[in-house]
Amino acid sequence: MSVYKFMIDVQYKSNLRDPRGETIKRVLKEEHGVPVKELRIGKSIYVEVEAASSDEAKELVKKMCEDLLVNPVVETYEVRSL
Amino acid sequence: MKAAVVVYPGSNCDRDTYHALKLTGFDVDYAYFFDQDLSFEGYDLVVLPGGFSYGDYLRPGAVAARENISRKVKEFAENGGLLLGICNGFQVLMEMGLLPGALLQNEKGKFICRWVDLVVEDNTTPFTLAFKKGEKIRLPIAHGFGRYVKVGEPRVVFRYRENVNGSDEKIAGVASESGNILGLMPHPERASEEILGGEDGRKVFLSIAEYLESRGAEK
Repeated sequence: MSVYKFMIDVQYKSNLRDPRGETIKRVLKEEHGVPVKELRIGKSIYVEVEAASSDEAKELVKKMCEDLLVNPVVETYEVRSL
Repeated sequence: MKAAVVVYPGSNCDRDTYHALKLTGFDVDYAYFFDQDLSFEGYDLVVLPGGFSYGDYLRPGAVAARENISRKVKEFAENGGLLLGICNGFQVLMEMGLLPGALLQNEKGKFICRWVDLVVEDNTTPFTLAFKKGEKIRLPIAHGFGRYVKVGEPRVVFRYRENVNGSDEKIAGVASESGNILGLMPHPERASEEILGGEDGRKVFLSIAEYLESRGAEK
């Protein structure tokens, strides 16, 4: 068994408004003069899992995303192996 | 008439809900999340109250929805039991997959705590029998994540008259197809006595009582 490390990035689906992102974007544009075109705030979840292989670890991470970490009705996600 | 109010860690409207149910003539028990032997057998109604279960970690209601006690709540509703979710309870119901849609952060990003005007769209559910269809009512809301995102064509029971939080089609409360599950963001328990500023919410509990009595539940 080895330990595998992942970063899971979760975002609201692109058709849904993200009030936090909109506020930060506005401040960057208006107060700092940065020409930001789009800014959306999601969340990152760092996990370590113990598994027999990297494929098995990826399966485990997929399962935890589907079971709890992500709400597929309103969110999308991406998993990066670290 | 027997009702249970579920208490998750972080629930904070459990006592108000208990009080409103008592006032309406229910025998009420608290159902604590840590009670492993708990059963909803013999209960006519289960209520998931408002609050911040598990501190809203991950997503409001997400953790509570996966508790052992929530599996029992689901079983109770699937067997036709009446299940009411208020505010955070509504969020839990959605995370449990018992009602369609999702609740996201309010469009303006603000926590909103105020009285709002609503319309009763559906008075054929066990929770709304005592209202007239189209009746205009006032209830308090207190939420940061109440923006309803519609999936499919939900059975809309309450609608805001003004879109306070950016919900799709001003939806404030939806029921299951079968009508035995209702979730809503406004707080009927906080509007169940004149001293609280209004009594419109009381009618939700009176409706349930009326429905149960018509079905022959013991008083």
